[in-house]
Amino acid sequence: MRVLAIARNTFRENIRDKVLYNLILFALLMILSSFVLGQLTLGYEDKVIVDIGLSAISMIGTLIAIFIGIGLVYKEIERRTVYALLAKPVHRWEFILGKYLGLAFTLLVNVTIMTAGLSLALAYHGGLGLQSYLRLLPAVYLIFLSLALTTAVALVFSSFSTPALSALFTFFLWVIGHFNEDLLQFARLTKSAVAGIAFKVLYYVLPNLAAFTSIDSRNVIQSATYYEPIPAAAVVWASVYALLYCGLLLAAAAAIFSGRDFK
Amino acid sequence: MVRRGGWPAALFLAAALLVKPVQDRVDASRGGPKIDPDLLYFSSPPVLKALALGYDSLLADIYWMRAIQYYGRRDEAARRPVRYKNLAAMLDIVTTLDPRMLDVYRAGSIFLAEPDPIGAGQPDAAMKLLDKGISLHPEEWRLRFDKGLAYFIYFKDPVRAARIWFEASRLASSPPWMEGLAARAFSEGGEIATAKDLYRRQFEGSDRREVRENARDHLASIQVDEDIWALEFFVEKYVRSHGKPPAGLLDLIRAGLVRAVPLDPSGVAYAYDPATGKVRLSPESKVHYLALPYDYREAYRKQLARAYGE
Repeated sequence: MRVLAIARNTFRENIRDKVLYNLILFALLMILSSFVLGQLTLGYEDKVIVDIGLSAISMIGTLIAIFIGIGLVYKEIERRTVYALLAKPVHRWEFILGKYLGLAFTLLVNVTIMTAGLSLALAYHGGLGLQSYLRLLPAVYLIFLSLALTTAVALVFSSFSTPALSALFTFFLWVIGHFNEDLLQFARLTKSAVAGIAFKVLYYVLPNLAAFTSIDSRNVIQSATYYEPIPAAAVVWASVYALLYCGLLLAAAAAIFSGRDFK
Repeated sequence: MVRRGGWPAALFLAAALLVKPVQDRVDASRGGPKIDPDLLYFSSPPVLKALALGYDSLLADIYWMRAIQYYGRRDEAARRPVRYKNLAAMLDIVTTLDPRMLDVYRAGSIFLAEPDPIGAGQPDAAMKLLDKGISLHPEEWRLRFDKGLAYFIYFKDPVRAARIWFEASRLASSPPWMEGLAARAFSEGGEIATAKDLYRRQFEGSDRREVRENARDHLASIQVDEDIWALEFFVEKYVRSHGKPPAGLLDLIRAGLVRAVPLDPSGVAYAYDPATGKVRLSPESKVHYLALPYDYREAYRKQLARAYGE
């Protein structure tokens, strides 16, 4: 319950901080892609709307995950509100988990509203049948998982570093997370056994964000665009991976935060 | 008294007004800004795909729109040293980022293959783009159709076009008229025997009435052409031995030149004009005659001459 109370407060705080203002930008993007971009392309109007919509959901969500995530803990320490909170019977891990869930819920609301906006743009463009909306859901779900993971990364850095450095580290890890599979390639190519093991260890240690953007070597946004079903097993395994990795990161953040001295 | 904040605002305005003249002076001192009218920052599709960070599909749309503007803006193209130097590279990028954009292969190959000034005048690049599409979508008949069309129009090679259309006609997704198209291109390229085989196969095998009728009409037309050329060949032979044209086609039998005079495929006798020695289809004929694109009369006559000892 205490966790949920912290989560609820974090969500309210995000709303107060006008995080959802990004939806105006998204709405403008959707209107632009529905009315204008269709004129610039040759065919593929529907594809352009889906691509812009899903990419914007992912990009805006990532920006929120990074820039709100890095302040989650740091801001509480800076404002000294953390002292008042920790004086209450609240475990530090509860504080971390509550903060995380609050931002994750903010992202979920954001992603849901944006998906509804994208569906409206598709409807305006003559989207027929339930299938033209349902096809978006697996991709949106996988995008949300990647946002949840990015938030967890940001939270870890937020628990011990300054916002500027946390943003930088999270952004780097987010980029590296898309090139993760290259590490396996390096491990295969290197002649040094030690380097090979090091690359493999890095492959498993670093967050693998490509797991949410490409399944069966097919881009998930493209799968939505072309009405291609994403295998359920792959989605389940991506969910398990996200749950496990987020759990690890939250445990790390809680451990770091617990070790900090606020006297 | 100057209002608080008035000085910074005035300074800001003054500095903003100075930016353009100062920048122009800087450019002039450097010999002018280096504007490349045909700059492509990324020319390696795999590198761009890796840098897309999962937004491959969106980037493919952006490059596709850019390729359309690059091709469509004639005034801009005219200012470039080479009108469409980067068009093939752009289309390669689009199809690497999103290999399923079939229209990019199709429309892009036309942009590339059309001769200057309409297109880039690069039919080889068009073929490369279509081959890339075919290798990624081997079951897609339309890409093979476009490749055949490119051979037919831009390379003026109907036989090669016919072979590719024939390949396309073997695909499960292919429309029923594809085999007929291949047959027509074979006949245009002078490969009449192959064309006849294909028409015969269509006539016997197709379950669509219009396809069977088209094949029947083509077969009948080839038959009519060959009958007329053969009869006129024997009429000329008759003239050489008798010094005058035969009064009727039955005279050819009497002279021992032919064993029978053929009827047209609808069972009507051919019309013969003794004054000119010309044979033609009778007005009563029910044959729906289609003029073949390739006139192989001379080749056929030589074949007859060889067979009948001339």
